[in-house]
Amino acid sequence: MIEARNLTKRYGSTVAVNDLGFTIRPGLVTGFLGPNGAGKTTTMRLILGLDNPTAGTVTVNGKAHPQLSSPMHEVGALLDAKAVHGGRSARNHLLCLAQTNGISRRRVDEVLGVVGLSDVAGKRSKGFSLGMSQRLGIAATLLGDPQILMFDEPVNGLDPEGILWIRNLMKSLAAEGRTVFVSSHLMSEMENTADHVIVIGRGRLIADCSMADFIARSAGQAIRVRTPQPEALARAVAAAGGRSAGAADGEAGELEVSGLTEERVGDIAFAHGVRLHHLTPSRASLEQAFMELTADSVEYHAGLPETRQSAHIGNGGLTWRH
Amino acid sequence: MAALTASPARPRTVPGGGYRAGVAGTLRSELTKIRSVRSTYWTLFLLVAAGVAWSIAYCVGEASRWASMAPQDRLGFDPTQSSVVGLALLGQLVIVVLGTLTLTSEYSTGMIRTSLTVMPRRGVLYGAKAAVLTAVALAVAFVTSFASFFIGQALLTNTHVSATLSQPNVLRAVLGSALYVVLCGLFAFGLGAIIRSTAGAMTAAYGLLFLVPQLAKALPNTWYADVDRWLPGGDVVNAITNTQQVNNNPHLFSAWGEFAVFGAYTAILLVLGAVLFRKRDA
Repeated sequence: MIEARNLTKRYGSTVAVNDLGFTIRPGLVTGFLGPNGAGKTTTMRLILGLDNPTAGTVTVNGKAHPQLSSPMHEVGALLDAKAVHGGRSARNHLLCLAQTNGISRRRVDEVLGVVGLSDVAGKRSKGFSLGMSQRLGIAATLLGDPQILMFDEPVNGLDPEGILWIRNLMKSLAAEGRTVFVSSHLMSEMENTADHVIVIGRGRLIADCSMADFIARSAGQAIRVRTPQPEALARAVAAAGGRSAGAADGEAGELEVSGLTEERVGDIAFAHGVRLHHLTPSRASLEQAFMELTADSVEYHAGLPETRQSAHIGNGGLTWRH
Repeated sequence: MAALTASPARPRTVPGGGYRAGVAGTLRSELTKIRSVRSTYWTLFLLVAAGVAWSIAYCVGEASRWASMAPQDRLGFDPTQSSVVGLALLGQLVIVVLGTLTLTSEYSTGMIRTSLTVMPRRGVLYGAKAAVLTAVALAVAFVTSFASFFIGQALLTNTHVSATLSQPNVLRAVLGSALYVVLCGLFAFGLGAIIRSTAGAMTAAYGLLFLVPQLAKALPNTWYADVDRWLPGGDVVNAITNTQQVNNNPHLFSAWGEFAVFGAYTAILLVLGAVLFRKRDA
């Protein structure tokens, strides 16, 4: 359990984290989402006591992190996989961490096996690929058999196999009743992994809800249809009390219909003799929903041409804070 | 690979933990850290080599000059200092690297964040680092100073003035040269904690130990005479390794006095480093 209350961190005049409040519960994978520069890493550093908050508090199992008596058993955290002394072997790296908490050499070899690094345990980590470094970092988090695990952007730069491995690992850790807190700037990554999401932008809390809620709210009730007779369908839909519009990213003849169910749209088309080539519920992609949510809070905008479309987000159920 | 996830991450032996972060564990951890990187062995090898090589080169040279040496030169000849001053003069250059890297290498690699996550009591981590550095430096410096001394005296046998440890001030010079090297390591460690960058801390250490005493020589003579005894580096080495009354510099404190002055500077840096280490964001 991690609890943040009014957590604020300023670096000079920059507000990195602004009045954040959240609770991260055991048994779930909680995704921590936000664009680059939103304050995710800073929040994690505050949780770990690496940085001191300017205001507010954050506790781990009810205590400030520096007060934990067995820190490795309570929290395993991986902030930056490359943050190791490259001249030290994988085994010695883990050993020096383990020794601080009185963890045995055998446990070191055990976690090396769990992450699949036994064969290179004696090699200096300087020569490790990013994937191997991630595994080494994850091995370090597992040493103390922690109740809480925190990973900062763990899949960044990994190949598909590595991504799948980390995904499954996080799920299995949560299934064992542990608290798993994982940050990402990619919604699509969290869609498959997280049970709960916390979204921040410019250091502020934007959403704190279950992934199911987030999907339900984010996916619009629109239906996408393609027909050789779009005008006829649009008239029929309007007559039935629905709304339709040409799909912004679609081909000619594609309509986005809202206010009606899929069945109704099919029936209306049939009744009016309109031929349909395609009928599908249009779930605005989560990525798009996420971008909408955080659009105002992206720190560095690229000067992109007009590409953002109006996504179908009902935001009523989300926790909005502005 | 996917099968790996099936194996639970729980250890079989210790149900639900039983792990505690403590002082003894942190000391062991720091010992593992210092002995698991090559730079440690290189610097310590250089320390031994520099001390012993100086002793051999200098004492062989003096022994061969001895026959043609003027009587007043013979009077001022200090066989002890000849053999151990190299450890202090060259060893300080070397130990500064080890002392600095003890902490700054953790900042440059980012390892400090992991170290503080597993051992969040910063005072304990800082103290363990300083203690392990001290222990390693002490062991190597003492071995080197005694080795340099005995090798040097053996090479000076034909002068018939070679020193023994029981003579006045000799043991002090042998111990002092080693302790001075250890203090220099801690001096650099403190600077490392304050500055946090390897290059910055090393530059500061060399600046304070070598540049400041040299610059001070530009002062008017009377000022320099007053300032000299308070300077780090420089004449401290001479004061603590000199065993001949006639060579005493009247502007300096006694050998242990000079040692105390430098020790005080080191203590100030260590305390300042500790305060900043505890307070600053990592």
